[in-house]
Amino acid sequence: MKRPAFVDRGLLCIGLVLAAWLVSYFAARWLLKHAAMGTWLRVAVALFPVPFFALFLVLFIRNIRSMDELQRRIQLEALAIAFPLAVLLLMTLGLLQRAIDLPFEDWSYAHVWVYLPIFYSLGISIAARRYR
Amino acid sequence: MKNRLKVLRAERDWSQAVLAERLDVSRQTVTAIETGKYDPSLPLAFKIARLFGKPIEEIFQPDEIGQP
Repeated sequence: MKRPAFVDRGLLCIGLVLAAWLVSYFAARWLLKHAAMGTWLRVAVALFPVPFFALFLVLFIRNIRSMDELQRRIQLEALAIAFPLAVLLLMTLGLLQRAIDLPFEDWSYAHVWVYLPIFYSLGISIAARRYR
Repeated sequence: MKNRLKVLRAERDWSQAVLAERLDVSRQTVTAIETGKYDPSLPLAFKIARLFGKPIEEIFQPDEIGQP
């Protein structure tokens, strides 16, 4: 399927919004760590990246809806792989935390989220290979 | 499910990319249908049948016809 121009523009928008979210996220982290602020301002800064991610989610779903039926199936199978893997990781880390007291600085949820896009990419790769 | 998509495409001298564009799907989808790795939805199967001007059962056949 030759992607229409508006789809390519859509992918560009997704990339830009994702980049904006990442910048806002790391900016918020930096501010929360280094800047002296009142409680409500800290809450506002913590919530600042949320609208960017919400917009990313809307554009991402719109992009998936523009795909053909096989591409949508691949996305579904990717999520069917990634979601249980994420649950497995969190469950295992939770149990290990109880067993051997894992260092919070290395294994907290703040670090674990990095694995989620990795699992999703792995799922996409496995699902796409099935239909090659 | 078996299908004659590859044969019908070859008869018209269409590439997979051309067929994909006419069906408004990705080339990967055409490949997966031709190799039997993916069975299309009913709307897509009808679209394929309409494009080739044939009844759907002339293009797609079940692997095994069960006994009634």
